[in-house]
Amino acid sequence: MRTAATVWHLTRRSLREAVRQPAQEAGNIIIPLFFLAVLVGAIGPIAGDSFGVDNFMGFQVPVAILSAAANISVSAGLGTITDIQRGYFDKLLLTPAPRSAIVLGRIAADGVRTLAITALIVVVGIAFGSGFDAGPGGVAVLLLGSFGFGMGYSGINAAIALRTGSPQAAAAGGLFFFPLIFLSTAFAPKEVYAGWLEALATANPITYILEAQRSLIIDGWDGLDLLWGGLATLGFGAVSFTLTFLALRWRTS
Amino acid sequence: MSAIVAEGLTKHFGEVRAVNGIDIEIARGAIFGFLGANGSGKTTTIRMLTTLLKPTAGSARVEGLDIVAEARAVRRRIGVALQEAGLDDLQTGRELLTLQGRLFGMPGAQVRRRVRDLLEIVDLAGAADRAVGGYSGGMKRRLDLAAALIHWPSVLFLDEPTTGLDPASREAVWRYVNQLCAEDGITVFLTTQYLEEADRLAHDLAIIDEGRVIARGSPADLKATIGTDVVTVRVGGPAEALDRAAEAAAAVPAVERVQRADGAAVVYVPNGARAVARIVLALDEAGVEVGDVSIAQPSLDDVFLQATGRHLRAGEMPADGGAA
Ligand SMILES: Nc1ncnc2c1ncn2[C@@H]1O[C@H](COP(=O)(O)OP(=O)(O)OP(=O)(O)O)[C@@H](O)[C@H]1O
Ligand SMILES: [Mg+2]
Repeated sequence: MRTAATVWHLTRRSLREAVRQPAQEAGNIIIPLFFLAVLVGAIGPIAGDSFGVDNFMGFQVPVAILSAAANISVSAGLGTITDIQRGYFDKLLLTPAPRSAIVLGRIAADGVRTLAITALIVVVGIAFGSGFDAGPGGVAVLLLGSFGFGMGYSGINAAIALRTGSPQAAAAGGLFFFPLIFLSTAFAPKEVYAGWLEALATANPITYILEAQRSLIIDGWDGLDLLWGGLATLGFGAVSFTLTFLALRWRTS
Repeated sequence: MSAIVAEGLTKHFGEVRAVNGIDIEIARGAIFGFLGANGSGKTTTIRMLTTLLKPTAGSARVEGLDIVAEARAVRRRIGVALQEAGLDDLQTGRELLTLQGRLFGMPGAQVRRRVRDLLEIVDLAGAADRAVGGYSGGMKRRLDLAAALIHWPSVLFLDEPTTGLDPASREAVWRYVNQLCAEDGITVFLTTQYLEEADRLAHDLAIIDEGRVIARGSPADLKATIGTDVVTVRVGGPAEALDRAAEAAAAVPAVERVQRADGAAVVYVPNGARAVARIVLALDEAGVEVGDVSIAQPSLDDVFLQATGRHLRAGEMPADGGAA
């Protein structure tokens, strides 16, 4: 109960912080949309003939969603570091609130921010022809999934922030997203990849999260894709939360 | 029951022995002063007592609760304003206090009332709905103090609460600390590097140097241990002149002790007013060039000097209020 209340109050605080830094929030939205537009503009026209993806917009919308989640979580990591450097984090630790809940508050806020940006990206995608085959129920499932992924991804940057307390490290943590996304099926189905890349993409949880989101947009309801996507999200979150709580324990001991 | 008891409290950061076995017992309802120079271990001690830092060795109880095993219960009873006011620029003063109250588990209506009252008390009602980022240094200090008091703590820790404040704001903090102690019976643990602050505010005092308590008692008792007046004679010329001056002064009848510090001979003698002429004469005969001479009652600086052989350098409060 104390945990839930603490998470709630600190989630609200983090969301307020995001709203009060509109330029940062705008960057988190505009950059993924820019890449979406450029990729679809450049590769979209040949995607059908070259590797059998006719709806390349629908194929790329999930990539934009995941990059937005990564951007959001980097800015939240920087927020945590600012709190640490200002001594505000100590002020929170001086309350009797459970310490894990203090960290979870910001992570949950990242989930909410990712959800909001996902809604926006879906609307933009539909406006430019991605369609949404699974319908409104599918949109709800996608939003829920993006909320989960937003939280899971946030754990990575929370862990870096808590362990290092350094803005440089937090910024460098953003680079972590590149191998994750490039070594997945972000740009084409893995059947067209070279063997080594196909193997890496198969092992990468991001691949399954992308495929689950794509299935909702392009193909409608596909239980198996959704199951794998859900498991990948949970697994990713489990690893990142473990790192976060280890970093928190380190910082407070 | 004592408000705070520490036994052999120790914190080492690798090679750095920040706090080196502190034993203190602090009565409830007292204003306890922890006086020491930069780097003497004041903040590290406070961070341990307030559960932010785990001791390397030793133990401590606050309101009878162990600071490690019962950390959460300790946090419920203490209010803390750290040396650097730990605030969040993007919230308003009211939001920050409200969040703090909610994290202490206070219900919404109670928090709203308490925040309104505290904002009045620390004179921030007018700025309550502005972002903290736009507050002045003094306003931030006052907001930080209000945040420390939100949950009616029974022990209040203040780490250098007046450093960098102008004289008027400093007086206001002193008045407020006195009031908290007198009216609400709060125990106050306050660190300072200002001798005058320790003297005027603290009922009970520990002087800390290099992580150890080197003197302990009420300011009056501590000064009484000196037992004499203090005649300070500035000496011109080479360093060797100071040695000669000290030697000559020590030979004057009734002089108990002479210490050399910062180009002056510090002479401990009962009834300084009567002895001063003889001291100056003796120095003159020894061929020492005598500069300023002053006679004073013993101060806490003399206590510090006696224990360490050094002046408490940062001990002068800036008259203009700028940070030292
Ligand atoms: N986290 C840390 N890591 C390493 N050394 C530290 C750490 N914190 C404090 N120290 C060292 O411990 C010693 C005591 O520091 P502390 O901050 O407790 O002093 P202080 O009395 O509060 O000084 P000031 O008046 O400057 O605030 C110093 O030598 C300081 O450099
Ligand atoms: Mg300090």
